[in-house]
Amino acid sequence: MNIETKNLTKTYKETTVLNLTHQCNPLFFESGKIHGIIGPNGSGKTTLMKIMAGLISQSSGDVLYDGRSGNSDVPKDITYSSHRPTLFSRTVFENIAYPLKIRKRPKAEIQSIVTELLDEFEISDIQTHNAKKLSGGESQKTAIARALSFSPKVLFLDEPTANIDPKNVKLMEAALLKRKKSQGLTIIIITHNLSQAFRICDTLTFLNQGTCLYSGLAHGLIESADPIIHDFISFNLLKKSDLPLKS
Amino acid sequence: MDYIINGFAEAFRLIFSFDPEIMEIVFLSLFVSFSSTLYATIIGVPFGILLGITNFRGKPIVSRFLYTFMSFPPVVIGLFTALFLARAGPFGQFQLMYTPSAMIIAQTILVTPVVMGIVFNQSSTSGYEVVLTGKTLGAGKGNTLLLLIAELKGTIMIALVTGFGRAISEVGAVMIVGGNIRGYTRVMTTFIAMNNNMGQYSTAIAMGIILMTISFITNSILYKYIIGDINEYRD
Repeated sequence: MNIETKNLTKTYKETTVLNLTHQCNPLFFESGKIHGIIGPNGSGKTTLMKIMAGLISQSSGDVLYDGRSGNSDVPKDITYSSHRPTLFSRTVFENIAYPLKIRKRPKAEIQSIVTELLDEFEISDIQTHNAKKLSGGESQKTAIARALSFSPKVLFLDEPTANIDPKNVKLMEAALLKRKKSQGLTIIIITHNLSQAFRICDTLTFLNQGTCLYSGLAHGLIESADPIIHDFISFNLLKKSDLPLKS
Repeated sequence: MDYIINGFAEAFRLIFSFDPEIMEIVFLSLFVSFSSTLYATIIGVPFGILLGITNFRGKPIVSRFLYTFMSFPPVVIGLFTALFLARAGPFGQFQLMYTPSAMIIAQTILVTPVVMGIVFNQSSTSGYEVVLTGKTLGAGKGNTLLLLIAELKGTIMIALVTGFGRAISEVGAVMIVGGNIRGYTRVMTTFIAMNNNMGQYSTAIAMGIILMTISFITNSILYKYIIGDINEYRD
């Protein structure tokens, strides 16, 4: 599913926290790709993502899903998972099964899909644990497995690997890349990990103080002449090997 | 000091003799308090959830009123209920004054803000997150409501226990609208107050022990089966 924002703004108590009316307007996220949103804290990344996911409303402008306005109804096959996910007070298995149950899928199908996800995310051993009592990393993996269970068309992830160790970051990235390739899933991800952004994202959007300074192919960000972007990259990239290869 | 010790001894004798009058008072107290808690739950839980998860301009004012009503003096609620139910009042034609129904109405008014306030408070914080998460997973309105009730189960039970505790322990409202009529509207708290005024401390202490025991049993049951898993011991 393609997603496009047009003239988008968000104002909280007379302060404009997001203004995409000038640069990067319209902002386009192509179907079947992984799009990264990066930028310093308070730059409007989460606000933009929540508007696109239909969780908060914009002050003005429009979000188009495959060209259709989402002002009246946001499609149900998009989903969102934050770095502090809300898991339900039931088992890990039941959490992952929840989106399938409300879609009234047959029991055998639910069992098969959930078992596969438990194995893929290496959380089979905790499937009977109460999801409220998991560690940060386990919670994150359960939340993403739950979000993927019903095969959405768009997945919004707000810092999905913030609480996760390197081994599990790799596991999570592999799961996302696999779905992009096999299901054509559109993934929009907020990350503070620049090397991760260059590793898995096809495009990057850079926000600063509510405005967009760059939106385009991931490697193009490196060549940006904008001093804010330049400083951000210099500060966040530790090794030259983190830099993306030009394709 | 002796009269206190004698009071306790007499209290145990009264309890284990299963005095018919005492039993009748206990059952009426439980009936009135359970009924009012049930009605308060039916009103308070959905409205508490709805207020908690909805964002609207006057929400802070509404929450302040709600919290004020949570601590409203029972005697004032009794007085207002009596004014409405009295023969000359707007609902006088129903002849509810000095009946168990009047006591249930007064206690429902007393307990509803307690149930609603507790549910509202939790819904405003975690309830809102649950609604958003449900939405991101494709839950419609019906599924979201079911999800919320399931997620707030512990809070709802705490609200019920607190509401029931407020109902069964209050004396002011039921005294005014019930009138403490022997064999008809006399409940444990009005019985205790009356016996204390008459200097019959042993009977008052006996009823006090029964009241506390019932409260302890009710709380223990709910704690063991519902609230316990929230507050379970962690090593």
